Amino acid sequence: MSKLIKNAVNFFGVQQLLRLGADVKQNGGIIKSIKKLYRMDSIKAGRLVGQDKYGNKYYENPHFFFGRNRWVEYAEYKNLEYDATQVPAEWFGWLHYRTDAPPYADIAKLQTKKYKWMMDHSENATGTKDAYFPYSTVNAKFTAWDPKKK
Amino acid sequence: MLRVPLTRAVLAQSQRAGVLATSKRMQSKAPEKVEVFIDDQPVMVLPGTTVLQAAAQVGIEIPRFCYHERLAVAGNCRMCLVEVEKSPKPVAACAMPVMKGWRIKTNSEMTRRAREGVMEFLLANHPLDCPICDQGGECDLQDQAMSFGSDRSRFTDIDHAGKRAVEDKDIGPLIKTTMTRCIHCTRCIRFASEVAGVDDLGTTGRGNDMQVGTYVEKLFLSEISGNVIDLCPVGALTNKPYSFVARPWEIRRIDSIDVLDALGSNITVNTRTGEVLRILPRENEDINEEWLSDKSRFACDGLKRQRLITPMLRKPDGELEAVEWETALIGVAQAVKNAGSKVAAVAGSFVDAEQLVAVKDLLNRLGSELLCTEQKFPTSDGLSGIDFRSNYLLNSSIAACEDADLVLLVGTNPRYEAPLLNTRLRKGYVHKELDVAVIGPQIDLSYRHEHLGSNASIIQDIVSGKHPFAKRLKSAKRPLIIVGANALSRNDGKAFLSSLHSFANQLKPENSDWKVWNVLQTNASQVAALDIGYKPGVDEVIAAGPKVLFLLGADNEAINKDNIPKDCFVVYLGHHGDNGAPLSHAILPGAAYTEKQATYVNTEGRAQQTLIAITPPGMAREDWKIIRALSEVIGTSLPYDNLDEIRDRLEDIAPHLVRYGRLEENNFFAQAEQLAKSQSVAFQGEIDVKQKSLADFYMTDSITRASPTMAKCVQAIKKGQGRAYTY
Repeated sequence: MSKLIKNAVNFFGVQQLLRLGADVKQNGGIIKSIKKLYRMDSIKAGRLVGQDKYGNKYYENPHFFFGRNRWVEYAEYKNLEYDATQVPAEWFGWLHYRTDAPPYADIAKLQTKKYKWMMDHSENATGTKDAYFPYSTVNAKFTAWDPKKK
Repeated sequence: MLRVPLTRAVLAQSQRAGVLATSKRMQSKAPEKVEVFIDDQPVMVLPGTTVLQAAAQVGIEIPRFCYHERLAVAGNCRMCLVEVEKSPKPVAACAMPVMKGWRIKTNSEMTRRAREGVMEFLLANHPLDCPICDQGGECDLQDQAMSFGSDRSRFTDIDHAGKRAVEDKDIGPLIKTTMTRCIHCTRCIRFASEVAGVDDLGTTGRGNDMQVGTYVEKLFLSEISGNVIDLCPVGALTNKPYSFVARPWEIRRIDSIDVLDALGSNITVNTRTGEVLRILPRENEDINEEWLSDKSRFACDGLKRQRLITPMLRKPDGELEAVEWETALIGVAQAVKNAGSKVAAVAGSFVDAEQLVAVKDLLNRLGSELLCTEQKFPTSDGLSGIDFRSNYLLNSSIAACEDADLVLLVGTNPRYEAPLLNTRLRKGYVHKELDVAVIGPQIDLSYRHEHLGSNASIIQDIVSGKHPFAKRLKSAKRPLIIVGANALSRNDGKAFLSSLHSFANQLKPENSDWKVWNVLQTNASQVAALDIGYKPGVDEVIAAGPKVLFLLGADNEAINKDNIPKDCFVVYLGHHGDNGAPLSHAILPGAAYTEKQATYVNTEGRAQQTLIAITPPGMAREDWKIIRALSEVIGTSLPYDNLDEIRDRLEDIAPHLVRYGRLEENNFFAQAEQLAKSQSVAFQGEIDVKQKSLADFYMTDSITRASPTMAKCVQAIKKGQGRAYTY
């Protein structure tokens, strides 16, 4: 009997519906969940592992398989203008499974001395006005006549 | 002066006999041909033909380093050794005249071994620096080592005695020397003494110590020195401005025409990534043979400097300002509309026929006939000196000049005005019976000539028959009178034209087709301009006081600050910012000769076309298209939209303009003389030429004045003038 109920529950996907409910709840209600779905194409619930100084939040949910079980939710103010280069170097290792220790618990990272000259993380500027354009160091093929020079 | 080697002398005798025999002048029978067998193929050749020439007749090319068709035979590289049946030793094919019935084997075991041996000896003392050598990829030694060399060498002594090394020479800013690479073919020496007439190069030492050089520290400065670069079969003499620039396989080659003198030498423009890297001569027996003057070869870096790359308009404060095409065309059109029919044009020295026609059509539509060239040519009141082409052309053709037996040069220095015409005359002087006399200043023509004096009255004496030289001209079989265009642009040019032309018509050359009267033009656009109907000289334009004046690359200061009317709106259409551009109120940037497909007519009246090697820089456009666009803005559209259509228009005006490469026969000498005749104008003063020494040769127009290489040449000469060994 109990097996029958179990099968029925499985058949109707009740557990998935329950998990959806939990996801929606963690994301703060139906409207916020729809917003998130629009912004990030998925709603996932997980344990908040930490947050970097730019406002990006890092989550982990071992329910998902390896490769999908750690993710970042980019800071709200970036809206749709987020990309992978906004993840700073200290979180990069954890996010890519190079280490299991988040930066605040990583002894090696904590022991690294901080210097004044260390630069802040910067994201890729391609497509913006700050983008890098290479310039030629080769002499121009033609030199134009300058009417001012006599 | 020139020592013709024995083999050459023998050959020349027999060849001359052959030539004379085939011509109508000699009555004697042609010498009997002899039969020889090249690799068992029978071939009939004239006696005296060398083995190498006989082999060439059946299409077999024998490898060679020192032999060159246009130079004396030296026979010192030994690369052309071939086996002759029943001869114990291989013979040098370039110097050995064939005998009847010889069986020559160009691919036998003995021949192959001889070649391999020669290659091995050459390579034993040749550096292995092909990777850093500029000749790499177009090197005869490289190619022939691959085809005919052995696959191994017995040269092992690299540590002890090593390879022969020779110090480099400084022979000027045009030719880079790496004398260690020299294989002593002596082509450069023979070229210098035979063709250029500058006996500066020679050899010192013998055997392993032989060196090619100038004996004393001295520059090899000749107006055609660059040709030794092409002649050098290895990388000993290379192009200095082009050194370490490109490899031959990276280069695109476009056949074109040179416009830096009036001969229209055939050239190949070498470009890479939209940049002209070098210019090489292209063979054309009728014009430049296979030589090229230094100006034409090395001035190509002037095409990259001082260029007009954007349209400009003069602001109210007097400064020229870069503007868009639209703004510039509207600005010019406005000025033209306000001027009514008071519009004029002056053509400079690099204007192509298409542009000349487009400008003429535009101005005619506006009701103006004020179209002139910068350079004067005598025209008399009512009667014109330019109605017949024969009046202003080098009628006898460039190639025929070497066959003349007496040449009178009046007010011209062909050595610098047209270096390759001068090599023709020198060729006639050295190898045939050509004598030259000069009326003008004392100049060095690179061959002996008679200097009749520099006073213009000598012409009067010759024409009237008082001068002893008149008798010589009258008795000459093939006389030529070559008058410089600059002499004709004098105030008494009319007298030159009428008196010398009628005197030339009185002479009775042996062949009635022989043309005595010749004018040597000095710039590439003059003939086309006169053909199309431009008037020579700017006097008429200045007198008319135009409101708008088009300067078509007019940079030779015929129009200058002082003689343009005050309220005249000057439009400069051209490619260089030189003397014309600063005068202008509007600048329309055009294309240089390497950047357009355009028609030029050379001094003998041969139309030739340049092809597009690179695109014009920046916003510059092809010149006739600019005029076409301007006509649209003015409101009188010209009826041609593409090159074919404008060439149809060219053909309507003068059909010879589109018969490319063909030389039109010139006639009506008697009638031309009638027209050229005018009320007697007195000769006055001394006859002078502008270019007297090599320093005057290099910088003569807007392209060469912009060229750093040409400036270096002038500097090098000036620096050397105080030294012990002057040039």
